[in-house]
Amino acid sequence: MDSTAAVSGGHLGRELRGFGRFLLRELKPRGKLITPFNVISLPIIVLGIAILIVRFVRGLGSVTNLSQEVPWGLWIGFDVVTGVALAGGAYVITFVVYVMRLEKYRPIVRVTILNGLLAYVFYAGALVFDLGRPWNIINPIIGNSFGYNSVLFLVAWHFLLYMIAEFVEFSPVVAEWLGWKRVRRLLRSLTLGAVIFGITLSTLHQSGLGALFLMAKAKIHPLWYTEFIPILFFVSSIAAGLSMIIIEGTISHRVFKDQIDPRRHGTFEELVFGLAKGAAISLFVYYFFKALIFIHEQHWLLLGDAWGVWYLIEVVGFVLTPCVLFAYAVRNRRLGVVRVAALLTVTGIVLNRLNISIIAFNWRSETHYYPSWMEIVVTLMVVFAEIWVFRWVVNRMPVLRPSAHAGQET
Amino acid sequence: METYHYVNIFETKGLEYLLLICFLVLFVLLIRYLERPKPEESSENRASRVTRRHPC
Repeated sequence: MDSTAAVSGGHLGRELRGFGRFLLRELKPRGKLITPFNVISLPIIVLGIAILIVRFVRGLGSVTNLSQEVPWGLWIGFDVVTGVALAGGAYVITFVVYVMRLEKYRPIVRVTILNGLLAYVFYAGALVFDLGRPWNIINPIIGNSFGYNSVLFLVAWHFLLYMIAEFVEFSPVVAEWLGWKRVRRLLRSLTLGAVIFGITLSTLHQSGLGALFLMAKAKIHPLWYTEFIPILFFVSSIAAGLSMIIIEGTISHRVFKDQIDPRRHGTFEELVFGLAKGAAISLFVYYFFKALIFIHEQHWLLLGDAWGVWYLIEVVGFVLTPCVLFAYAVRNRRLGVVRVAALLTVTGIVLNRLNISIIAFNWRSETHYYPSWMEIVVTLMVVFAEIWVFRWVVNRMPVLRPSAHAGQET
Repeated sequence: METYHYVNIFETKGLEYLLLICFLVLFVLLIRYLERPKPEESSENRASRVTRRHPC
């Protein structure tokens, strides 16, 4: 379809009908319906939707273990705080390709941006589930109560603006799918601006999420609380993002192998080693930041109890170990070791964010928070729903398969 | 007579400075380690191995 034809008066009706038919055709499911992933994910999504209906009708207390003492649980700790860190790959890769001009990473730009966009839409969107009065989410945007002094004001605006920036970055793919050549050209001219805007926003809100916990000094265990949480969140999001790209890339390469240009199969390994190198360096920096803060705060005595052991497991087992593994794998060209290191890194980031927001939060309190089974189902629902949308987009739009305008990319 | 003043390494932030110096040294070493290909796998070695096996 051509957008110019769509606007030419006489053919408008016919074009609109054609466009409607095209959309209906694209909405139809493709491929096998009965697959192990579908069989597992579909019931969880249906159950999650049912639980969410109960949550919105009867309130948070009906499905969660949250209370006045523990107002933030799994939905904030995993979906929002962890999910956004794991989506950090989009700003890292766009920076590498569009600003540093490392063209060899261009083949994974689109899929990384799509992952980032969906992660923000689903994980940041999950914030609505956790608000006692979800309709007030619009307040920081419309000015009903801006709350300039709150870190959440920054986070709310940044999430909104970053989602728009990522959509602009991804929009040329949508225009190409719809066959809108002129619109695509216009959108492509906006990409670089959107990328720079998006990177600026990311550096601020990745650290802003950490800044949310600055006011909880009395509640967070001293091994995890530091005034440098924002910096730690930002640096660790780089390693988390790169590791997620490695994991997602590995899975996508197997699941969507028919969509990938066979000539690119060989270069994928090179890309993975490049990403692993970046992850090793960022984990190295992150580890030394952690060590510097530990020494600065003189926390030696805190290592003696179970909390200390738990802290060491996180820092040594899931920061230092993957850092060493990444370096070893890059040097010795071991793809399998890269994947193990990426998995360890992602686990470590999940652990770190959960430690700060849930496990080591209210550590002295007698009432401990454990997520209810319904909170876990809704969290799984969010993850599976994102994968379903990702699969739908990748099967229809030129995300992994080469663009018809590949030569024009700048 | 002058007396000795023992410096407390915790109070003077000495450990932090030491850690920072370690970081800088190790960072350079890490980058060199990552950038340089493994000796036995380098192209020169591989080429010389091939030449040794199949001398012309």
